[in-house]
Amino acid sequence: MLEQLLYFVQQLLNGLTIGSTYALIAIGYTMVYGIIGMINFAHGEIYMIGTYVTFIVIAGLAYMGLESLPLVFTAALLVSMAVAASYGFAIERVAYRPLRGQTRLLALISAIGMSIFLQNFVRLSQGSRDIAMPSLITGGWTFGDPSSFEASLSYMQVIIWVVTLVTMAALTLFITRSKWGRACRACSQDLGMTNLLGINANNVIALTFVVGAALAAVAGLLLGLYYGVVNPYVGFIAGLKAFTAAVLGGIGSIPGAMLGGLLLGVTEAMTSAYFSSEYKDVVAFSLLVLVLLFRPWGLLGKPEVEKI
Amino acid sequence: MTTIKKHLIGLSVSAMMLGAASAQAEIKIALAGPVTGPVAQYGDMQFIGAKMAIEQINKAGGVNGEQLEAVVYDDACDPKQATAVANKVVNDGIQLVVGHLCSSSTEPASDIYEDEGVLMITAASTSPTITEKGYQLVFRTIGLDSLQGPFAAKHVVDAIKPQRVAVIHDKQQYGEGLATSVKSELDKAGVNVVMFEGVTSGDKDFSALIGKLKKENVDFVYYGGYHPELGLILRQSREKGFNAKFMGPEGVGNPDITAIAGEASEGLLVTLPNSFDQDPKNADLVAAFKAKNEDPSGAFVFPAYSAVQIMADSIKAVGSVDTDAMAKHMRATTFSTPTGDLAFDAKGDLKEFSFVVYEWHADGSKTAVK
Repeated sequence: MLEQLLYFVQQLLNGLTIGSTYALIAIGYTMVYGIIGMINFAHGEIYMIGTYVTFIVIAGLAYMGLESLPLVFTAALLVSMAVAASYGFAIERVAYRPLRGQTRLLALISAIGMSIFLQNFVRLSQGSRDIAMPSLITGGWTFGDPSSFEASLSYMQVIIWVVTLVTMAALTLFITRSKWGRACRACSQDLGMTNLLGINANNVIALTFVVGAALAAVAGLLLGLYYGVVNPYVGFIAGLKAFTAAVLGGIGSIPGAMLGGLLLGVTEAMTSAYFSSEYKDVVAFSLLVLVLLFRPWGLLGKPEVEKI
Repeated sequence: MTTIKKHLIGLSVSAMMLGAASAQAEIKIALAGPVTGPVAQYGDMQFIGAKMAIEQINKAGGVNGEQLEAVVYDDACDPKQATAVANKVVNDGIQLVVGHLCSSSTEPASDIYEDEGVLMITAASTSPTITEKGYQLVFRTIGLDSLQGPFAAKHVVDAIKPQRVAVIHDKQQYGEGLATSVKSELDKAGVNVVMFEGVTSGDKDFSALIGKLKKENVDFVYYGGYHPELGLILRQSREKGFNAKFMGPEGVGNPDITAIAGEASEGLLVTLPNSFDQDPKNADLVAAFKAKNEDPSGAFVFPAYSAVQIMADSIKAVGSVDTDAMAKHMRATTFSTPTGDLAFDAKGDLKEFSFVVYEWHADGSKTAVK
């Protein structure tokens, strides 16, 4: 009995860890969609670039003889956020802004093109093989009896939750309390009107991309350290999962992205645990279809009212 | 980064050679396999082996006075690109192919080659179904999963004697084929297989799977697939305190698994073709690879060398690049190659091919298990 309970707890912890990182990436999708109603398919690639930058910074610091963990962690976080943010800014400027005011489909195709471009750009500059890094943060707690089933919780998993929660809280404060956050919310309600009222909507949109990209870099750093492996293709799957999480929770809604990410992660873990890992994507995406059938606006989204 | 550069340089060099040597009569051989993509290192093995054979044959005067020339095609181990490559080979008028690498690429490509009269020898694809279609022009110089699976299973039954076994695969043709064959052999031998499951290739998180393996008290895991996934499974198993013995096919046996799994790759068992580079009669060839700074220890290097040599010998015997006549000759002849005396059966498979079980070490080296 206890063994069953521990097993359940273990799988729940696994699911929550995957889920929090889905959520971090999902926020980037949801923020951009909330404001300009466009899906930024290049977002997964930003996450991948974040992981690469993290690896490069850590390898570079190790090469210079700096191995103090807090220092390396902070440096990697700051540099990867900065690099990813500039990518986010540049992508918006190059691929999306010139198409603003055209049909949404154009920006969508441009986003897919940007995603393919970034993937191949990284492939050519970094090579297509898996790049691996030894685990920096090892160890953890174990619960239960080693002779039957022992649940484990690694320090890295806890770090992932804490960083995710802190980042989400900071973002929520930024959106609800700050002047820029207010401008973001205004833009998401009515872009044209906001422009008329003297807010430079272009700047607000650029800011959204920068913030979303920086969050993707945080996810890139955390998952890079957790799995220790990166290749130019990781962004695609991660982006797909995060996009699903965003839609599940209600695209455009930030708490929705968090809920959607966690729900998706836990569903996948539980399917693998009690059914078969072959079916985890089947179950996860069936869940998405079901939610969309009965609540097309997602779990926490608001039904869209046609503006006249 | 350096490998990509090397490929680019290699490609541009071969392109330059194509321009420079076009005045001379020559026989083109297409080398098809992944130049890019996650399993490009296996493509490398095949390319360096085939190129070495071409170089040495040309040095010795070529084939019937004509020089051989390698043309590299990249299929990225993607079945869709493989068919595009096959069509390109046909359009380019090339009648000989050494490749492809991944079984899932070789299979669709072989349909096109057979239809268009192109002779294909794969030095790496091990799925049995490739030679089961009754094709006349499709050959291979490597063993089959249907041999490798039972060989691995026999080792498990005789030497390891595990209590609770899990068989995991990556749901791809190669991995699932092997895993299925291992499972059925283990079942026959009465070994207790408690789990048979697929994972998604490209996944990064196997914590749920490992939790399940732990709960099932599995003490031996056979993995059918490639190293990127198994590397992560090993690494995450170590982190989560799951300490079973792991075994995999040649698809996991390359130094990258150590790069990914680190310490956790110690003790991994891998079934590989015989190490032809350890064979004393290949010492000259090994020295030739070393002189070019290439690694002759990869599993597909020597089979690719043999494939080219068999093609060259058959052209000599037949008198021209007549693929039907060459295929007939190949089925009737025993070829003396660096991978041994090779003879093909009616399907185009080798009559004999032996595997060896190796134990992998954390420094990337391997030792044969007796």
